[in-house]
Amino acid sequence: MSAIPATAAEAGLLSCEYCHLLARPAGAGEPGFCPRCGAELSWRRHHSIQYTWALVIAAAICYIPANALPVLNTTTLGSTDSDTIIGGVVFLYTSGSWPLALVVLIASVMVPLGKLVALAYLLITVQKRSLGSNRERTRLYRIVEFVGRWSMLDVFVDTFTVALVQLSPLMSVDPGPGVLFFAAVVVLTMFAAESFDPRLIWDSNAGNEHG
Amino acid sequence: MAERTDSDNFPQATLVPQKRRRISIVWIVPLFAAVVAIGIAIQRIMSEGPTITIVFRAAQGVEAGKTFIKYKDVNIGQVTKVQLASDYAKVEVTVKMDKSAAGLIVEDAKFWVVEPRVTLSGVSGLSTLLSGNYIGFEVGKSDKKQRKFTGLETPPAITSEQAGRHFALKAESLGSVGIGSPIYYRRLQAGQVIAYNLAPDGKSVDIKIFVNAPYDKYVNSETRFWNASGLDVSVGAGGVDVRMQSLVALLAGGLAFDTPNVVSKSEPVTANAVFTLYPDQTAAFKQPDTIAARYVLYFNESLRGLSVGAPVTLLGLPGGEVTDVGLDLDPKTMRVRGRVEITSYPERLVAHLNEKQLAAGRAMLRSGQERHALMQGLVERRGLRAQLRSGNLVTGQLFIALDFYPDAAKAKIDWSRDPVEIPVVPSTVQDLETKITGIVAKLDKLPYEAIGTDVTKVLVTLNQTLQDASKAVNRIDADVTPELKMIVGELRGTISSADGVLKSTDATLVGKDAPAQQDLRDALQEIARTARSLRVLTDYLERHPEALIRGKVEE
Repeated sequence: MSAIPATAAEAGLLSCEYCHLLARPAGAGEPGFCPRCGAELSWRRHHSIQYTWALVIAAAICYIPANALPVLNTTTLGSTDSDTIIGGVVFLYTSGSWPLALVVLIASVMVPLGKLVALAYLLITVQKRSLGSNRERTRLYRIVEFVGRWSMLDVFVDTFTVALVQLSPLMSVDPGPGVLFFAAVVVLTMFAAESFDPRLIWDSNAGNEHG
Repeated sequence: MAERTDSDNFPQATLVPQKRRRISIVWIVPLFAAVVAIGIAIQRIMSEGPTITIVFRAAQGVEAGKTFIKYKDVNIGQVTKVQLASDYAKVEVTVKMDKSAAGLIVEDAKFWVVEPRVTLSGVSGLSTLLSGNYIGFEVGKSDKKQRKFTGLETPPAITSEQAGRHFALKAESLGSVGIGSPIYYRRLQAGQVIAYNLAPDGKSVDIKIFVNAPYDKYVNSETRFWNASGLDVSVGAGGVDVRMQSLVALLAGGLAFDTPNVVSKSEPVTANAVFTLYPDQTAAFKQPDTIAARYVLYFNESLRGLSVGAPVTLLGLPGGEVTDVGLDLDPKTMRVRGRVEITSYPERLVAHLNEKQLAAGRAMLRSGQERHALMQGLVERRGLRAQLRSGNLVTGQLFIALDFYPDAAKAKIDWSRDPVEIPVVPSTVQDLETKITGIVAKLDKLPYEAIGTDVTKVLVTLNQTLQDASKAVNRIDADVTPELKMIVGELRGTISSADGVLKSTDATLVGKDAPAQQDLRDALQEIARTARSLRVLTDYLERHPEALIRGKVEE
């Protein structure tokens, strides 16, 4: 313990997660409600690490079929082509438009994977009460949270394509099962990022137990 | 909330949270995801059919990921890889079959590339023009699983569920028959040719056919198959008879079958029974010849125009055929003769007997002894002889005629030899030649020298006769000529007197100053003058018509 408390909790205070008002808790065991916005106060989110782990694992599981199963079924004159995300990347690359391939690769493959890895890293470091690079980890968390809302691009493109290209019987496009899993990955990682309490990063120094 | 800050009576909350369930309910989410993902994985694995390899000679239009295997127009698999076989001669196509079709992939399943095909017997695979080629599939009957197949070059002609039976035909040559050639029963298409190949000994062609269900029951042990392609034109006393199965058969070749009406005992046949394919209907319906006797004939004349298969006739009725035409050399006498082997089918001749004799004739044929006795009697007592005859004057085709020549030199049949020799008589052309030669020979023998002497004698006599005649003429000359001279002199006198008469006449009538001429000239001058004055008168009258009334006016 240092002379200057590192966190509000160490000083016996807690901040509202919504309006960020620093307040004294109503009681030691029961933090009470925010006097300004009325939101329920908590020292640390309940089961934050457990929740985040569960969602990250669920997202990781969904990530496999999201890439293995086709996201688009294109039917042209009776013959059906099934395309996975990676298949699309390979097709774009072999047909010469490597920048586009790179965009799809980053947005649809690397980013969800990166988010999962980042969240897992944060969770592990928090659980190990790791010291140092707290600032970087906080920045990482912010990036993960920010990127989350842009990750549904693939799903949007998919739905648009399916809705627009219905030239039956010449050509039609149907969503594949992969897109469902992809959406699940995105949603689950967003929830996982949401359920992670970034204050835990700083708790490591204090040695508090609010897992 | 405000009261709470005032009151200190409430128990102090502990900073240590109460014991809660260690496992949060949120773990249901990854559990659920795992269950769904594993479920899908299991479904995928379960629906995974076998992967098979098909070897094609050429994989036209077959593309990985785009070509399907279709059975009854349902996709049962997809091509995942197309590559050359290790020896570069064939194409290996790797196909992932559907789970549902796994049971169909057995040893004798058939695969072939379906592409548009236009043949004489039809157009198939037109749908592939739009959808691209696909691999056709035909289930097998075996239970043995197999993973490596050899693709067919052409689609199988019939499908396994088609009811009917397979039969095999043995033919001397394939003719115009091809795979898919129709088979007709009473001009209805009853089946088709599905395969053919050369017999292992190379001497015949084995044709595999399939006869469809309602018709296959008409195939029995006595059924005859024949080649029905082309036209069958026969000219008879009743006119020209043209038989044709169908235009398709004419172009693409075809077979036909039927059972002769005369056959009474017919037994059902099993599938894959072997039949003989006859070249035409007539040959197919010919009575089978159970009795065949071989004979040999030795001719001392040209066999040009006699071919194997030429008919052998007895009194003009066909009763056999020529089976071999060759030579015979007798080394002792250095004699080369024409050797003709014939096969006679006595049943065909007996069939021409009337009904009363038919039974007796057949009975006679059944015994070899009686047959021999009959033949011997015919040859030795009745003079049965073989003769080469011209069947066609234009082409010079010959045939063998058996006829009776009671005057022919006696001959005996030697039954110990095989084949038995039938004595021959020279052909009629040969006969004629012989006769002419005979005449020439006789001419040769005439006593030309004696005749010459005679002729000389005759000439001498003739010479004398002529001399006699000359004398006679001389005599006539001497006696008759003086009289003739006298007659001529008299004639001359007569002529000169006639001349005088004519001259006097001349003086009166046609002489220059003959009086008759003078008178005539005067008369003509008078007439000319009259005509002139008449013309003057008419001219005047034309100018002065009034003169007729008034008279001539003096100028």
